[in-house]
Amino acid sequence: MIKAILIFNNHGKPRLIRFYEYFAEDLQQQIIRETFHLVSKRDDNVCNFLEGGSLIGGSDYKLIYRHYATLYFVFCVDSSESELGILDLIQVFVETLDKCFENVCELDLIFHMDKVHYILQEVVMGGMVLETNMNEIVGQVELQNRMEKSEGGFSAAPARAVSAVKNMNLPEMPRNINIGDINIKVPTLSPF
Amino acid sequence: MSDVVEKTLSALPSLLSLDSQPGAGKLSSTSKLGNLIRGITELTSKHEEEKLIIKELASIKEQVASPNTTMRQMKEAMVRAIYCEMLGYQAPFSYIHAVKLAQQGSVLEKRVGYLAVSLFLNESDEFLLLLVNTVLKDLQSTSLMEVCMALTAVSQVFPRDMIPSVLPLVEEKLTHPKEIIRRKAVLALYKFYLIAPNQVQHIHSKFRKALCDKDPGVMTASLHIYLQLVKESPESYKDLTESFVTILRQVLAGKLPMDFNYHSVPAPWLQIQLLRILAHLGKEDQSTSEMMYDVLEESLRRAEMNHNITYAILYECVKSIYTVFPKAELLEKAAKCIGNFVQSPKINLKYLGLKALTYVVTQDANLALPHQMTIIECLDHSDIIIKRATLDLLFRITNAQNVAVIVEKMLAFLRLCTDEYCTVDLVGKVAELAEKYPFIKAKPGS
Repeated sequence: MIKAILIFNNHGKPRLIRFYEYFAEDLQQQIIRETFHLVSKRDDNVCNFLEGGSLIGGSDYKLIYRHYATLYFVFCVDSSESELGILDLIQVFVETLDKCFENVCELDLIFHMDKVHYILQEVVMGGMVLETNMNEIVGQVELQNRMEKSEGGFSAAPARAVSAVKNMNLPEMPRNINIGDINIKVPTLSPF
Repeated sequence: MSDVVEKTLSALPSLLSLDSQPGAGKLSSTSKLGNLIRGITELTSKHEEEKLIIKELASIKEQVASPNTTMRQMKEAMVRAIYCEMLGYQAPFSYIHAVKLAQQGSVLEKRVGYLAVSLFLNESDEFLLLLVNTVLKDLQSTSLMEVCMALTAVSQVFPRDMIPSVLPLVEEKLTHPKEIIRRKAVLALYKFYLIAPNQVQHIHSKFRKALCDKDPGVMTASLHIYLQLVKESPESYKDLTESFVTILRQVLAGKLPMDFNYHSVPAPWLQIQLLRILAHLGKEDQSTSEMMYDVLEESLRRAEMNHNITYAILYECVKSIYTVFPKAELLEKAAKCIGNFVQSPKINLKYLGLKALTYVVTQDANLALPHQMTIIECLDHSDIIIKRATLDLLFRITNAQNVAVIVEKMLAFLRLCTDEYCTVDLVGKVAELAEKYPFIKAKPGS
């Protein structure tokens, strides 16, 4: 079972926090701080697993983490999870974020933290791995996005009009129309 | 396109952003959340951050308490509250409104409400009781999204005593036409089983149905449950051994749809689950183990490619082979595999190799012999985790000849150890060894 998923940046600022077991608020913050402390000490060429520690519930847990540019993705799991399996799951999650946000960066996670939660909910549910296929996860997220667009209602109309005009292919005005021998020159229209 | 159209297109977005309510979910540049985040990132000290958040919390508190706030504005305020709580600042005044949002809002507002509730509340919170009716209603909704949200909510945070009230509705979802709903229902029931096992006793037959579901996704979800059940009482599930072996055989033969492939490996996470279940079933049971020898060998043979995930399968395979009733040829192949892991330059594999060795030397101490040199090198490895794993391994292969050296190494490590858990663990080990070998003299000065 996955006990917690933490995403924080190189300075320890939390970007997404999801606990699947209950911890009081101040204990949660302590866990975040200590996890950051443990993980930030690590070089880039050491193993991605950390274990032991009295933080989250005794000895039956490990921290599996990956470092991407400015962000640490840490999954805290118990012994029922496969270490390498979780490592790849983190990769799947990040690739999904990349697909959903188009070249995801830390800013996307900061400004759209709720969206990241919704995506995560399609990967891990209640601490259990729900889906490992990126296309399936993206599919579920797209369903929700479509619902968002249709729910937009009135206030979404201008935004949709803008994208509709942008996507419209205005045909090219032909300069000359050749119909047999008759050559009619089309006058140049003055700009609006 | 003419100039006028171009100008209009570029002007429209900024005209839109003057609307204080973000439309269509897009975070406009002047939204309150945007401002808050920008404000925080500009600050340099914790003290200033605290001041800003306290001000923000006061503003949110006012907004949620006002009767004039629309659901839309409430949704927006809730996201800000989630943000503040994530940074460690409590917003308890928003909890009841989160529940209300899930109850009364449109689908999008409900989504935020449910998210907020799952982040803010815990099982023993009284407000949660108010959510039960909402969940019941949403579970019966015709909207797929609402059913999904309700199922996710019950698996994240739900009062234990109210499980009986939702149980029938969740059970019903096990036969829903949509695969995703069946899958979520299976996991929700598993969660119920974990927190209140006696409530869920009567539906084990339904779990079996899920195991045979035509959709592999649902079947995979049911394996979470079976892994737990089999771990708890393997005898009750020996009759399912044949089924698990058959499923694994089919997966290895490529019978699953292509979508289940991950880097050309068929359903790796599924394979890992099955291998673990088989390990529990075959433990100390020769006849059951005999049913799985060939599929174990097949797994070992197939996972030859060089990707993280195939190593994950190999590792599980090796552990399973050493857990079930022993078979000489399989053990030999597995030992070779462990050797490859331990010698690997890839540090994650080395770590797993050491872990695997630690697991298998309890059965056969000689397995560590060919790797002595590597083990000694690992003792001085730059990665502290590898060092610890090596010490763990050494602890298990101590005998009268090497105990003095091993204890010395442990003591040397202890001196550098800053982690409380690690220290306690090592001290315990040293004490145990001292008791076991009381007449070995330690070297002077240690």
